[in-house]
Amino acid sequence: MLKRAVDWLDVRLGVRELWQENTSGYLVPRNINAWYSLGTVLLALFGLQFLTGILLLIHYVPDTEKAFGSVETIVNAVPYGWLIRNLHAVGSNLIVVVLLLHMLSVLFMGSYKRPRELTWLSGFILFNLGLGLCLTGYLLPWSQLSFWATTVATDAAGAVPVIGPKLVEFLRGAPSVGAPTLGRFFALHVVVLPGALMGLVGFHLFCVRRCGISVPPFGKDAKPARVGTVFDHEKHPGGIPFFPNYTAEEAAMVCFALAVLVAVTFFAPQIFIPLDALEPANPFVTPEHIKPEWYFLWAYQTLKIFPSKLIGLAAQGALMTFLALLPFIDRGEERRPAKRPLFVTCYVLGLLLLIGISIWGRYS
Amino acid sequence: MPQNELPSSQRRTFLTVLLAGLGTVLGAMAAWPLLRYLSPRDRGDADTKVTLARDKVPVGGAEFIDFRGRPAVILQPKPGEFVALTAVCTHLGCIVKWVNEKQEFLCPCHGGRFSTSGQVLGGPPPKPLESFNIKLDGDQLVIG
Amino acid sequence: MMHAKGWLLAGCLLLLLPGPVFSAGEEAPTIPRETVCLQCHGGMEGRLGAPVGLWKQSIHRQNGISCHDCHGGDPTDFAMAMSPERGFRGAPEKAEIPAFCGRCHIGVKDDYLASKHGRALGKGGPQCVTCHGNHAVVKASPDLINDKDCTRCHSFERAARIKAALTDTDRIISGLERDLADLRRLGIAVKKMRGEVFAKRNEFHRLFHTVDVNKVHQGTAAVQKSLGEVATEVAGIRSDLSQRKLWGGIAIVLLLVAGGLCLLLRRTYHDEEGKG
Ligand code: HEM
Ligand code: FES
Repeated sequence: MLKRAVDWLDVRLGVRELWQENTSGYLVPRNINAWYSLGTVLLALFGLQFLTGILLLIHYVPDTEKAFGSVETIVNAVPYGWLIRNLHAVGSNLIVVVLLLHMLSVLFMGSYKRPRELTWLSGFILFNLGLGLCLTGYLLPWSQLSFWATTVATDAAGAVPVIGPKLVEFLRGAPSVGAPTLGRFFALHVVVLPGALMGLVGFHLFCVRRCGISVPPFGKDAKPARVGTVFDHEKHPGGIPFFPNYTAEEAAMVCFALAVLVAVTFFAPQIFIPLDALEPANPFVTPEHIKPEWYFLWAYQTLKIFPSKLIGLAAQGALMTFLALLPFIDRGEERRPAKRPLFVTCYVLGLLLLIGISIWGRYS
Repeated sequence: MPQNELPSSQRRTFLTVLLAGLGTVLGAMAAWPLLRYLSPRDRGDADTKVTLARDKVPVGGAEFIDFRGRPAVILQPKPGEFVALTAVCTHLGCIVKWVNEKQEFLCPCHGGRFSTSGQVLGGPPPKPLESFNIKLDGDQLVIG
Repeated sequence: MMHAKGWLLAGCLLLLLPGPVFSAGEEAPTIPRETVCLQCHGGMEGRLGAPVGLWKQSIHRQNGISCHDCHGGDPTDFAMAMSPERGFRGAPEKAEIPAFCGRCHIGVKDDYLASKHGRALGKGGPQCVTCHGNHAVVKASPDLINDKDCTRCHSFERAARIKAALTDTDRIISGLERDLADLRRLGIAVKKMRGEVFAKRNEFHRLFHTVDVNKVHQGTAAVQKSLGEVATEVAGIRSDLSQRKLWGGIAIVLLLVAGGLCLLLRRTYHDEEGKG
């Protein structure tokens, strides 16, 4: 029966050929490593995030009077609502962790270099969309934490010269965070950003598939980053089939990531749900020591380090632009970390700096 | 390792079967919360009584109320005599309308007609409107 | 390859490490803001400055009750701070103290005034601050009933019986308050239960201001019954929570096993890749 259906499709669309081409016929480098499975882990986590998000949407009410109560209802009264909500909240943090790991690994292995500039660029935009989803989602429960974190985050835009104050008001849709902010953040979080994310993930995967996966830059198989004058898909003759050989490993990594997600969700969700998140928003009382989420601490602290907010903001912008355009700036052919001492030094120091600044931000 | 003595294809079959089993268990463990999350919750009002002030229902008039999650209508055909009926038409579920001049119900969807006691007077409805217990307690009507 | 996996897992764990850091922070008390009262009196010596230091250790401060909440006046205006026009009340005479404190602690005041203690007010009997202190008012606890303080006026024997009657209940109340705070930390809605415990706590504290052993005994039973209901609800939630953890644990183990099996599966292919 199933075979008949596939036959029917095959005659019309050649699905068997497509399947073959992209699974057992799609060869990946023999020395491919576990870091290459992080993209798939991200796909799995985002998939789950979409699912739990849609489920939350059934009971969530985007209204400043009701939002907090609706989340409280989900967590306390709806059967398994706590599970869905905590999976969504913890999942968002895990996604940022895996995004960072994915980014750091392709960075370290020099996979961002040509011909994969567009893969990197689209990936970097995806990273920012991911952070945007976190930022907008954060406001929705309308807790003290949501309200004040958003106030502080949008306030930073005020440092932009001339249009700063207008920009802050535009972001909030009002002079201070309120119902109009919730409205626009809600629209962004559930429609605009997920839609953009899905489209861009498609483009990202297209780039990955079209260029061919890069050879890990270790050992004798390492190849320099080079483009010719015509398009050339990077084939890996003598490589291993993507499916089932490598997908088995990817499946393992997905299972491990899900195990981490379940572990935090069941045993320590409070790591990501601090006390201020359990208090409904009060626009007239700022809680003490309000801090942004861990992945924004570096930005929060840079704003404080520099003598003026504008310089801090400019530094952040410069860093992000630099990272976005990295493959166009770093045009060397060498991908082997052992042969790139300067790069590896900057990589390690840069990472330590960001971690250091974040910790500083946390305790300052 | 002893398993290495088995050919890899046999090990593979064994592992695949195990994984399929495990996948089914995990799938079921994920499906159950999902099902519970989506299932309508027991409203706990299967036999709650609804009260209504008597003077809301004039003689010869009708008052529509929510009764255990569905629309119902209360009538007072004769002074002191009260009737409680479901307001959901037995044909395809539209909400019947009270026609004061004729003292009967008309369904706006396909013209079904019902009497004050819920009997079908005409049109497609196959069954009379279900009626509920109603009694007077002081100046309150107690339905259910 | 196994090597890379090890690093990857280590990396994940490392990145998770900063996690708990962000969860720090106790339930922040609402500290009253700096007022002109505190600014002037804080710098004064002796009788006029001492209350500031004492108040700083008090339950009043913890709950955001500041000078002007009791003494009136305008805490924002240096010039007019102590003007009766702005409702400044100054310090009460001894006999006025129950009325002074009773503006907030209404129930307790009533029961106190009707008690032996209250009826001796102005005739050498104790009033609020005799036991609770002034300014350094601490959270009420059975320790306030003790040999040293009570025997200032009478033998400790009756007081000891009252203390015995309330100690148990007081322990239940503070235990429940702690349990509820723990549950709340996990996102459980405990507002209603907290309200109930608070109401019962008040009722109970009123009760023993009657200093009537029989009344205390009678009232205690009723209070303990409603506290018992809250305790049952808490126990139910607790058992739900451990049930959840059990299932979570099972899911984690199954996922880890599935991951391990996938790696073994990968190995079966790997073995063939060598030959191919
Ligand atoms: C929504 C987020 C993302 C998803 C779903 C995703 C998915 C994937 C997948 C499935 C692959 C192929 C396998 C692999 O190497 O992991 C891949 C490769 C790649 N990704 Fe991402 N990615 C995301 C974000 C990013 C980010 C933030 C960056 C960097 C800024 C990035 C840069 C790259 C690069 C350069 C490759 C090519 C690796 C190679 O060919 O060796 N991606 N991505
Ligand atoms: S639904 Fe009422 S007549 Fe058809």
